[in-house]
Amino acid sequence: MTRTTLSVRNTPRRILFLYRRLFGQQLKAILEYSSDFYVMIGAAALTQIVGFLFLWVVFSRIPVIQGWGFWEVAFMYAMIYFSEGVGSLFFEGTWRMLRLVNMGELDRYLVRPMPIVLQIFCTGIGMNGIGNIAIGGAIIGMSLYHVDIDWSVTSVLAALVVLASALAVRIGINLAANCSAFWIRTSGNAFPIMVHNMGEFAKYPITIYSLGLQLFLALGVPFAFVSFVPAAVLFGKEDWAAYGWLSPLAAAYVFGIALLLLRIGLRRYESSGN
Amino acid sequence: MKKYVSLAVCSMQNTLSYRLSFVLNFLGSFIALLATYFLWRAIYDGQSELAGFDWNQMKSYLLVTFFANSMLSYYSESGITNKVMDGTVAMDLLKPLNFQKARLAESLGSCVLEGLLSALLISVLAIAAFGIPMPVDGVSGILFAISMLSSILVKFGIVYCTALICFYTTSGFGVIWARMAVTNLLSGALVPFAFFPDWLRNVAMALPFQGIVNTPTTIFLGMSDTREAILLIAVQWFWIAALWLLGRSMWGWAVRQITIHGG
Repeated sequence: MTRTTLSVRNTPRRILFLYRRLFGQQLKAILEYSSDFYVMIGAAALTQIVGFLFLWVVFSRIPVIQGWGFWEVAFMYAMIYFSEGVGSLFFEGTWRMLRLVNMGELDRYLVRPMPIVLQIFCTGIGMNGIGNIAIGGAIIGMSLYHVDIDWSVTSVLAALVVLASALAVRIGINLAANCSAFWIRTSGNAFPIMVHNMGEFAKYPITIYSLGLQLFLALGVPFAFVSFVPAAVLFGKEDWAAYGWLSPLAAAYVFGIALLLLRIGLRRYESSGN
Repeated sequence: MKKYVSLAVCSMQNTLSYRLSFVLNFLGSFIALLATYFLWRAIYDGQSELAGFDWNQMKSYLLVTFFANSMLSYYSESGITNKVMDGTVAMDLLKPLNFQKARLAESLGSCVLEGLLSALLISVLAIAAFGIPMPVDGVSGILFAISMLSSILVKFGIVYCTALICFYTTSGFGVIWARMAVTNLLSGALVPFAFFPDWLRNVAMALPFQGIVNTPTTIFLGMSDTREAILLIAVQWFWIAALWLLGRSMWGWAVRQITIHGG
């Protein structure tokens, strides 16, 4: 599908403005069904707390697993949920792609003078994200407090870069996985959910896995950059901290693949036939 | 009876026709199993036993838990909730079938496939990495089989009652999700009860969830003698009956809700 060039230019400022407007509209819609999202927020928080209890029970038996202490693993665990929360709250639309494609709703997006990715991102809001962000944020905060970290200007900057990349990697993975909607024509998004479940691996230090799995988590679906690498950088694990430099690259790599898949997918897209 | 059997067969065929989603869902929970396997392997590195479990017992525990959990998976659970959420429950009211028994028949129907698929995967894993787990002797083997089947019924009781809560809330997914979290912890699916602090173990033992994972695994690993095992199965059946009655009265209440809203 070719797009005609219009006189509007998508400057970062315009994109931010559009995002705010689109997000605001979705927010109004979702606030109409409040009991729904209270249940979702509660369920998300509960899931995470239960998993945290699991870690706590395990670590009450042995203090260190392959050189990683309780709070260090808790940080990785919480990063998986925190990033999931950011993905659901601000970029939930990726999970609605199946609907957009199957119902032909993408048509509407293709004719608007806005980047299609932006419109996909703003197709919904996952209120459960609030539960994930709150509990995940709390656990991350506690682990940063409990682990002795050597804070300095460079370490704060490094932390920010690595954390921002972690979120970008996570959202890129969501987008790429959900592009399966163009190929797999089923009614449920089982494939992206399966990819999402691979995040389970990254709740724990990836050094516990076999080499093949480690490579997969670093290069294939790079969940390692969501939790493990940020932990290594923040907690100054010498063997792994250097991989922090690759974090922005990993984010670029995932987004590149996601946008490529979207582009190929759009070429396959058959709009609704009316 | 015949009509419920055909419902079960129908649900089995339905699962087969959506096999791609079914298998992908299944692989998703398989990933979680792999992650916990590697975590426990790292934990047992240099430890001969923890909370009375050695590494081999823990591996068997993981496999039996996976098997118990794959029964009545999210896939069949959401089927019940969706009926309430999208209103097709109204159609079921018109049918000359008991709603609760019909849902049980459907769940058991897809359980047959879930059981087969997970048994297949478990055998592959057992041969490849875990080592083949065997019940300690013949008697506990038979008791294990009984407790495994009872476990499905306990789970159905919990799932059914939770699904009926959706008459109240407008969120189907959220309710299922919360139920999963609670069940995971209190059934012993995340970690054996032996690892729990005493108070949490006591709470868990007093609730129905333990019948789903704790009972079959305890019997499988021979951690209870025959008398205790029979007692554990009796407790499962107490909960099966109690949850069935609870489900029935909840349904009676829920149906009145519909009538009111229907005008």
